[in-house]
Amino acid sequence: MLSADKNRIALLASYALALHGLETLIPAPLPWMRPGFSNIITLITLFFYGIKPALTVTLIRILLGSLFLGTFLGPGFFLSLSGGLAGTVSMWMAAALFPRLFSPLGISLIGAYFHNMAQLFIAYFLFVRRIEAILVVLPFLVVAGTLTGACNGYAAKYLIQGIQAAQQGKRAGGLEG
Amino acid sequence: MIRPNITRADKVLLSICIFLSFSSFALVKGMIPAGSEVRIEVDGRLKYTLPLNTDRTLEISGIIGKTTIEIKGGKVRIKEAPCTNKLCIHQGWVENGAVVCLPNKVIITVTRPSGNKVPDAVSG
Repeated sequence: MLSADKNRIALLASYALALHGLETLIPAPLPWMRPGFSNIITLITLFFYGIKPALTVTLIRILLGSLFLGTFLGPGFFLSLSGGLAGTVSMWMAAALFPRLFSPLGISLIGAYFHNMAQLFIAYFLFVRRIEAILVVLPFLVVAGTLTGACNGYAAKYLIQGIQAAQQGKRAGGLEG
Repeated sequence: MIRPNITRADKVLLSICIFLSFSSFALVKGMIPAGSEVRIEVDGRLKYTLPLNTDRTLEISGIIGKTTIEIKGGKVRIKEAPCTNKLCIHQGWVENGAVVCLPNKVIITVTRPSGNKVPDAVSG
């Protein structure tokens, strides 16, 4: 990997971290229901650099984000970690298994659903252990997945198109950090 | 490979997601059995089993403090809780399903009385 790429991945991770911190300031109907804006950055990283950098960006975001917000190793941390990993891996799988089928919108929806389902799964095994409690929460997570998946997907699509336009404009190679 | 522009598959997927969003509430409601027994668990251990048709208020100790639970008119709610987000209180009255307070590790479920249940199998 070129050092320029490393710099860009570090930069993308810090963008994701900033969005991760920013969205905690937004009032949500339920505290664990968050828009997941940092997934826009994961998606962009996946689009331009592939699965390894995307996982790196996700892990940096979750680890540092939880340290900054004081949720490291708390229940929220494990939910965040499982959701983040499942979301990233599922988006990569969708792109690899069905090449050229989806745009960032479809990939983002898949990522959002897998993110939420992984969190629910972990919540069941680590904390709740009652299927009724899980069933009550499930519809809310489905709605949240649709909303956040679609919004983040559109945002990622326009950002990717903007970056590509900027890259073509520069010819010499790539967006400058 | 991800396409830069919105594809037909995207639109189909988005439609499915929107359909699921609307239908999941009805679907899940049918899956939760109507109950008549309130089970209160603290930190994974069953503390109380109470009938849903008897009105009462009780205070239980959780991990971080006292949670006040109210049973009234065939419904149950968490009246007061020591947590910061008050999620469980906002959920309000519940007839079936569950109220969960993760910070205090209090789980209230409304189920059928266990006496009516027939075991799948009995060993030894």
